[in-house]
Amino acid sequence: MDAFVTAAGLVLDPNVLWVIVASAAFGMFVGAMPGLTATMATALLVPVTFFMDPVPALGAIVTATAMAIFAGDIPAAMLRIPGTPASAAYTDESYAMSKKGELDLNLGVNLVFSVLGGMIGVALLIVCAPVLAEAAINFSSFEYFWLALLGLTCAIFMTTGDPLKGVTSLIFGLLINCIGIDPTAGHPRFTFGSVELLQGISFIPAMIGMFALSELLRGAVSVDERNVVLAQKIGNIFHGVWSVLKKYWFNFLRGSALGVAIGALPGAGADIAAWISFAISKRFSKTPEKFGTGHIEGIVDATSANNSALAAAWIPALVFGIPGDSITAIVIGVLYMKGMNPGPTVFLQNPQFIYAVFIIFVLANLLMLPLGWAAIKSAKQILRVPRNVLLPIILLFCLVGSYAMTNSFYGVLIMLVLGIIGWLMEENGFPIAPAILGLVLGEMLEQNFMTSMIKADGNALVFFERPIAGVLGVITVAVWGLMLWRGFMGRKATLAPT
Amino acid sequence: MRANDAINGLILILLSVAMIAMTSTFPAFPGQPYGPSLFPRVLGTLLIMCGVLLVWRGLAARRSGAGWVEMAPWTRQPWRVVSFFLMLGSLLLYILVGDAIGFIPVAIVILLALFLWFGVRPLSAVVTAVVATFAIHWFFATLLRVPLPRGVLDAIL
Repeated sequence: MDAFVTAAGLVLDPNVLWVIVASAAFGMFVGAMPGLTATMATALLVPVTFFMDPVPALGAIVTATAMAIFAGDIPAAMLRIPGTPASAAYTDESYAMSKKGELDLNLGVNLVFSVLGGMIGVALLIVCAPVLAEAAINFSSFEYFWLALLGLTCAIFMTTGDPLKGVTSLIFGLLINCIGIDPTAGHPRFTFGSVELLQGISFIPAMIGMFALSELLRGAVSVDERNVVLAQKIGNIFHGVWSVLKKYWFNFLRGSALGVAIGALPGAGADIAAWISFAISKRFSKTPEKFGTGHIEGIVDATSANNSALAAAWIPALVFGIPGDSITAIVIGVLYMKGMNPGPTVFLQNPQFIYAVFIIFVLANLLMLPLGWAAIKSAKQILRVPRNVLLPIILLFCLVGSYAMTNSFYGVLIMLVLGIIGWLMEENGFPIAPAILGLVLGEMLEQNFMTSMIKADGNALVFFERPIAGVLGVITVAVWGLMLWRGFMGRKATLAPT
Repeated sequence: MRANDAINGLILILLSVAMIAMTSTFPAFPGQPYGPSLFPRVLGTLLIMCGVLLVWRGLAARRSGAGWVEMAPWTRQPWRVVSFFLMLGSLLLYILVGDAIGFIPVAIVILLALFLWFGVRPLSAVVTAVVATFAIHWFFATLLRVPLPRGVLDAIL
């Protein structure tokens, strides 16, 4: 309880509140701009948070991402371009509603259910995280090895694209992580005599490069393609939302629950939660034929799911130090920078920070209502910011941001090189998120793998001897088996017609 | 630029082989069979397996008519290609001359060049470039104390 009071004091400091409001506005803007993702918002924020105290730093990230995930719904409805990938699942549905003249209702539902879904996610984060942390305190290197591996496995299993390319991307990320001093023996690896490579591939510039620069490169070649805002007056967006809630309360609960479950899985984030819950909504709907014609039901499920997933992704991040999605992957980097090593011990050593995160989450979701309303009202102006002005400024931001992380041109160089690699990967169908997870989890995986190998003296069976490690190991192996089977079946299916 | 998976796979295999070859120079743990080379070797082997599967798939796609390298439509419009390389070139310019000339002049030049190339009207391009540069400089260098290179403006700042 003391920790809670301390945390409340930390959060309610006027400076922190100012940071929260400012990053909320930033998140709204980035989320609403097509082509700029919530992950990019976080990546751009990190260099700024680097210079803050832990609580405002976490506050900035939590608020900006929560807003961005909601704000992505606005251009989805008005332009048929999702502002962030998390809104892609129901973009067509939203746009169809707008064309039917139900833009107000659609945006109102998006806003209210995002807030409610976010609240459910936070509630479960508050309940689950400490309980899990208690169990996690007894974990040894074997459990952590399996957890990290399971996390990485889920990341691939959940990618919507090609699993083989997901695996490749992941291993590539793990390999990049091998550059630098190795964690067990302290021997420099793949540094080619360079002093700067000794510190390894700095994680934040890598992230800015892969997520933001590659996006800017795509934007640069299509800068003249104009966005046409659907000309429609926005009236009272809250009109009719209550009756939607009364009619579709079960969809809301189901979407939020699914969001939490998927968000808490390492590697699967808000966008996957939205896709799956939209699909489930359609599958179990009493009126599946209405889907695609501008029907609110699936939107209720999916818009609740993506916001609840966002909070739930913090569960594995805080408890085990394993990122739930690409955003929490960045958060883990920030936690390390702030000296709060994510993992169960953070609940013992810095409980006030954990409570602060909880409080900020609740605040961010409450703040979403008025700010979201304002964003919707001013959406036409936001969406009119010309991209030919925006792209160069964001480029400069990326440049300064990655410079700030190393205080040298080395950071900019990492960003440039990994930005090009990230762009090439996306062009060729290799997803970027697994590579980033590999880069984040690589050290934890290697350290625990090496420690366990030395403890077990190379005997693989020891990896299964402790009860929790055994269960985690079996699950991991089972998921791998399922993936291979799915890959095999998929191959047969594609070969069948020829 | 979309390359056939056979090419992607081949690149990965070559990369992994080179990497595994490099691990042979790593020292062993005294009295311990698992040293710094173990993890990269495991990863390298896995990546080679992925590479082989990609090559196999790429060759199958090739047989059914897919090309080796497929360029995106924008690559046929020269000015879009220039846009692409201007973005990368700006970063390279900053890395190369940023230290000597300093953040403010280089950033203004980069922004101005990109704005004009992307068709922003000259007057607003100049104003936006100057305002954005000073705003970002103020935010990072003054507020957050990032030691952005001062270059030629060292005496003034």
